[in-house]
Amino acid sequence: MLKMIKSIVAVLALVACGSTAMAASAVNLDSETRTIIVTEGGNRQQIDLAPGETVDFCLNGCFVTLPNGDREALSGGETVEISGGAAKIK
Amino acid sequence: MVLIRRLLGLVVLITLLSVGIGAAQEGAGDQLTGVAAEQQANIAKLTSQVDRLDKDIDENIEDDARLVEIRLALEDIQSAVLKSGVAFRPTINDINTKLNALGPVPKEGQPPEPDDKATQRAALNAQKAQINHVIGQAEDLLVRVNGLVNKVSTARRDLFANTLMKRYQLRSAIGPDVGKAVEDQVTMLSRNVAAWFRFVVRFKLQAALAATFFASLVGGLSYFFGRRVIARLLHKDPEANPDYLHRLSAAFWSTLFPSLALGLFLGLTLGLYQSYNVLRGDISNYFISLLQTLFTSFFVNRLATSILSPDAPNWRLVRIEAGPARILIWLATVAALVVGLDRFTGIITESLGSPLSVTILKGLVAALLVGVLLLVFGSIRPFADKDGAPQPWPTWFRGTIYAIGAATILASLTGYISLAQFVSRQIVVTGAWIATAYIGLLASRAISDEGAFAHTTAGRWFRNSYNTEASKLDQLGVLTSVVINLLIVVVFLPVVLFQWGFQAGDIAVWMRRLGSGFQIGTFVFSPLAIITGLIIFGVGYFITRWFQSWIDDTVMARGRVDPGVRNSIRTVVGYAGMALAALVAISAAGLNLSNLALIAGGLSLGIGFGLQNVVSNFVSGLILLVERPFKVGDWVVAGDVSGTVRKISVRATEIETFQRQTVILPNSQLINNAVGNWTHRNRLGRIDVPVAVAYGADVEHVHAILLDLARNNPLVLKNPEPFVLFAGFADTSINFEIRVFLADISNGSVVQNELRFGLVKAFEQEGIELAHVPRPELAGKRQLPLGDPVDTMELPSDDMQSQAKGRKRKPDPS
Repeated sequence: MLKMIKSIVAVLALVACGSTAMAASAVNLDSETRTIIVTEGGNRQQIDLAPGETVDFCLNGCFVTLPNGDREALSGGETVEISGGAAKIK
Repeated sequence: MVLIRRLLGLVVLITLLSVGIGAAQEGAGDQLTGVAAEQQANIAKLTSQVDRLDKDIDENIEDDARLVEIRLALEDIQSAVLKSGVAFRPTINDINTKLNALGPVPKEGQPPEPDDKATQRAALNAQKAQINHVIGQAEDLLVRVNGLVNKVSTARRDLFANTLMKRYQLRSAIGPDVGKAVEDQVTMLSRNVAAWFRFVVRFKLQAALAATFFASLVGGLSYFFGRRVIARLLHKDPEANPDYLHRLSAAFWSTLFPSLALGLFLGLTLGLYQSYNVLRGDISNYFISLLQTLFTSFFVNRLATSILSPDAPNWRLVRIEAGPARILIWLATVAALVVGLDRFTGIITESLGSPLSVTILKGLVAALLVGVLLLVFGSIRPFADKDGAPQPWPTWFRGTIYAIGAATILASLTGYISLAQFVSRQIVVTGAWIATAYIGLLASRAISDEGAFAHTTAGRWFRNSYNTEASKLDQLGVLTSVVINLLIVVVFLPVVLFQWGFQAGDIAVWMRRLGSGFQIGTFVFSPLAIITGLIIFGVGYFITRWFQSWIDDTVMARGRVDPGVRNSIRTVVGYAGMALAALVAISAAGLNLSNLALIAGGLSLGIGFGLQNVVSNFVSGLILLVERPFKVGDWVVAGDVSGTVRKISVRATEIETFQRQTVILPNSQLINNAVGNWTHRNRLGRIDVPVAVAYGADVEHVHAILLDLARNNPLVLKNPEPFVLFAGFADTSINFEIRVFLADISNGSVVQNELRFGLVKAFEQEGIELAHVPRPELAGKRQLPLGDPVDTMELPSDDMQSQAKGRKRKPDPS
């Protein structure tokens, strides 16, 4: 029985691994494409987010410029919700 | 600096004034400016640090160790910059909330908003712009720092390549002047050493003598006493035929132990000399290098000797003939000595500031020597075939050795002396480490063999102290081999990497990478977190086991708790602890528990169908543990199974039948069906022994005999008192039934036996006939009328006994 519980836990853990919350993720709640600029590891990168799209980025911390021109620093692990061009960080 | 601070102060003042109105209304404005100013100062400080490091890189472009330090410092700055950026978060959120509260800006054509609202909005936007500016600065700094990190990496790569691939002009080294130069250096060195020696004799003689004496004493004593302690491990009996693990342990100890003793002696000497100030700056460096050389050569010699073991053929780890083995040992020692001395003389020439020609000559000689040694090594014929004729190394091995040896010689002759030195050093030192690691790997493989662990000292100890089963010991063996493998990676990999020119800082950088995890697609992998999780689970497991046995053996055993309750609590504690450990470990491994819950929710439907039985058994098991209809040791009857309960697990219960068959009964069966328990509240129970006597017997007398028999049995309880039932009249017999109560129902068979034996004896004495059905043959032979109980009285008594004892026994054919 214990062995079975263990293997179930192992399977669940493996499945959960795929969505570990280490990186930051951004989700676009608007109905139009939004662009954020991410500075991570020395290079600036432009990320386009289609409506409703979620993107994982920023593993070890980064700076991000949001669609409305606001800048934010992320330490990784946050969720950025973009609505109306502004962002809410959780 | 002062100027900057003043400027900052001014900025703060202006900002305060400009947001004065908003601040007065909100009461939080000054704090905001505080954060911005603070972080800007912080960033200015970091920027100046980066400037300094940038300059440092250019100045130390040749110094690998310093470059690594700079890189670590840069990485610290990276995280500091990020932190300073993140510090704005609460303030930004605050401003955004306020702006939201103000509502959207009125569009053109709409009436303008009131003045105070507009002012407030402007003030908030100004603050935001300020913050954005500071964050922008931080961002630029981060980009710059990253550029510098890349610069350091490039510089280090170039440095490595340049040093290795530097080509020297051999003509200058082997010119006519070099003899003179060498002579000069030797004179300088001897002058230096002589001066130091005079210094020691004059001022430090006592200290030096005392230190040497003390170090030799400690080293010598530890060697001789240690030898006694582990004599059994060191002794190589030439007659014995040891298995691989024993050979290995002998090799291990006979390498490690003398090396440790020598290391202790050398280390103590060095430490004491240094603490008494016997050594001076340059001499100290020579001394350390000399000791290192001595130690390395000794270690290599011991290692080679114990692996090849030329004197005790049965104890060899590698089957190499005695003659070649001796040459190999000699070669290895000389190579280690050459490389060590090369390093040693390198330090001398460096501190003496010797001319380049001397350095080149020294490197050339050392590299050529190692090259020649390698060629000799390759040409040895170490193995013997069936007839004893010597066989060379395998072709690939010989080819590689020849190629490296030739390359070393060629490189040094064409002027690539650094490269040749590097290669020869790698061959000796890395070779020694790889040989040691290889032995370790062989050990781990040998220990994981079936039954191997049981023969080791640790295995014997486990068996003797804990009565561990053979299969458990095997598992321990596998575990040990895994641990050994891990240790080899953890210990030897860094050492080899150091040898290859990596710096401690590099490894620190890797460890950081491991710690923070790396990303493969969207999959984030953090080995350190996962290892932490595993360790936490292991610790949790052991704590649970310990707590379990503590609460069981100490608390509950002392408290005279009922064994059933003990078992239940023990099991529940075990599962709860395990679940807790798993949960903590999973969250420590960085896996999101909410994700897990999501998946568990999704799977629950599948579990509902697929694992229906398992879940039902699981729940039944919990009910069994709480309700305790039976406990371990009870005699239960469940359906066709009757036996003693051995173990109640959460899924199934083990029942051992009286034939010693173990039946594993799913718990749901025990919950859903009727279970008879002979020993639920007490072990008291009744057994019935039916007796049939032939017609014609005196029933009163029979009743009295039976009652007497039951009363006189010591195992039969007096209260409730035994009872003999006149059960009825059958076709050929009058039936009685002895009903007796026993204190312990498990004695049932014994009592039944005693009663029946006694009964037959008593009937025989009293001449009472037991009822029986006459067999046809018997009837034919004896002419007995069927069912005539009177005639049977005349049967010889031995016949009667045989029938009374076993009705199924076949009659005598005679």
